[in-house]
Amino acid sequence: MNDGAPTDVDVVARVLGGDGEAFGILIRRYEPGLLRFATRMLGNSDAAADAVAESLVRAYRHLAQCRDPAHLRSWLYRITGNRCRSHLARRRTSDISLSDAPPLADATDTWGILERGEQVALVERALAALPAEKREAFVLKHVEGMSYEEMAAATGARIPTLKMRVHRAREALLAALEELV
Amino acid sequence: MMAMSPIDPQLQDVLDGERDPATLSPDQREAYARLITAAESLQQAPRLSVADRVMAAIRAMPPVPSREPASRRLWRWLARPRAVTVRLRPAWTLALAAALGAVVLLPSEPSGPGTSFPIPGDREGVAQFVGHFPGARSVEVVGSFNDWSRGMLSLRDDNGDGIWHGAAVLPAGQHEYMFVVDGERWVADPLAGRYVDDGFGIGRENSVLIVRPSRGAVTSDGAGESR
Amino acid sequence: MRLLLTLALVAATPLVAQSATPRLAGRVPAAALPAIDSLIAMAVAESLPSEPLVQKALEGSAKGVPANRLVNGVRRGLLQLREARAIVTHVLPDQPIPDGHVAAVAAALARGLSPAIVERLLAVTPDESPGPVLHAAADLIAHHFDPDSATALLVEAHEKGLHGVRLLDVAVAATHDLQRGGGRTPAEALAHVRAMLPNVPEGPVTHRGTRGS
Repeated sequence: MNDGAPTDVDVVARVLGGDGEAFGILIRRYEPGLLRFATRMLGNSDAAADAVAESLVRAYRHLAQCRDPAHLRSWLYRITGNRCRSHLARRRTSDISLSDAPPLADATDTWGILERGEQVALVERALAALPAEKREAFVLKHVEGMSYEEMAAATGARIPTLKMRVHRAREALLAALEELV
Repeated sequence: MMAMSPIDPQLQDVLDGERDPATLSPDQREAYARLITAAESLQQAPRLSVADRVMAAIRAMPPVPSREPASRRLWRWLARPRAVTVRLRPAWTLALAAALGAVVLLPSEPSGPGTSFPIPGDREGVAQFVGHFPGARSVEVVGSFNDWSRGMLSLRDDNGDGIWHGAAVLPAGQHEYMFVVDGERWVADPLAGRYVDDGFGIGRENSVLIVRPSRGAVTSDGAGESR
Repeated sequence: MRLLLTLALVAATPLVAQSATPRLAGRVPAAALPAIDSLIAMAVAESLPSEPLVQKALEGSAKGVPANRLVNGVRRGLLQLREARAIVTHVLPDQPIPDGHVAAVAAALARGLSPAIVERLLAVTPDESPGPVLHAAADLIAHHFDPDSATALLVEAHEKGLHGVRLLDVAVAATHDLQRGGGRTPAEALAHVRAMLPNVPEGPVTHRGTRGS
């Protein structure tokens, strides 16, 4: 963070010092990525909003336990990943299944964009069909742009395990994309 | 389920950023491009925000604890045996007590001959509740052990230092609970260490407490520990 | 005449909505009561434990949850109980299922434990109350230990003679080891506790400070 904005370490210190409003800085900083991540995990933007809101509230409540504010981003993704898994566990017993969740692609696009929308929908469906752990690994690696070290901090899994999950996810997605041809 | 072919390890290495894409064969480059394009298509961020909702929830909370872990500060209090102890049973056995209007509170220390604490039974244990709520007027514990009923387990802050405490004899096993502060604010116990979403879809979590049998009797289902 | 008829109808309407479950009467909003009674009746008809659903209804009512969310919360509980029984039946097909098992597994699922891990732990503790080992696993995962490694540690602890609430002590030991500082990783903390087995410190019988036991 080199644009004059306060660092995560600074903001965390302010919040723990009693300036709860400063937590808004962290929300604005990480909300887009967390929402994108949760949406890809849950396949539903409303559920993603619930998961991210719950996660950020939990992060605020337990901010004193964030042992390394310099790696706040991994910590926030870890909380959100856990929250998404809780939602998925509950969803297995709920009325709405992942296959019923509407895709995010906008179906009112023009013809040229519609083809891309179809592809996005296909990718989203292929992603939704992956087991949660592989889906999470692929999204963190290729959508959130994390290194394997960051992913290990965010998930608690070992790097070789994460690599295997990402590799398997790529194979499944590539197979799905080849069906579009 | 779609058939998956293994991806060439060279392609995996490129996708992991460990090898130059220029080393890929034409077929591999096509697969590489498909995956990268697919990943880029997923990078669209949803056009919504939870900032207002989160900040509203935060403003309704008690202040964030100081850097000293609350458990360390409260542990110093716990060294002093000043618990107010009550015995709680599931509500269906408390029908008569409810009719009498209150659960009897017992003194925290023996004050003379004949005074005694409730002794947990074989399948009961003692749970102490501690919360840091400076400025609060009242704090009570509401949970599955009292049928989520209000007014049955109130905590006390005898010296006005904001640390509220109480205890209860509870059946051994799992219980969920929350603190209710000033009669209206439901708060998860920050010291519980164990939480579960309450399942009502509004982001609230119950604290989870597991009470061990006080005497470690071996129960028929093996839940206790033997001595 | 119309006024008299209206008054008669009002007089005939109970002031407090009736419930098939007496504990809910006067506590659960009238608008939600029929649906919740129906859900509890379904649980009873399916030989599922109904107490978790009664508790959920009382909880939501105490918290002032809107009626639709209250009903959804209870329904979610019923679905979790069904899933829990399916898991228990799958792991223990040849024996009657204690109600405690179903409720404990449902509680574990509510804490986010995956069915795969639940099944694995049920399989190694078929004759014991599963609550402690499932909570131990959920505790470890909530503290960001790798789920598979955490489960393996608990299985090994059980094989070395630690049963019931002693498995909670294993989880406590691991989390304490991780929080002790010095840069220990979750994997190192688990390895350290594995090396202690079965001599993991016992937790306090008097549960102090509302920390997990």
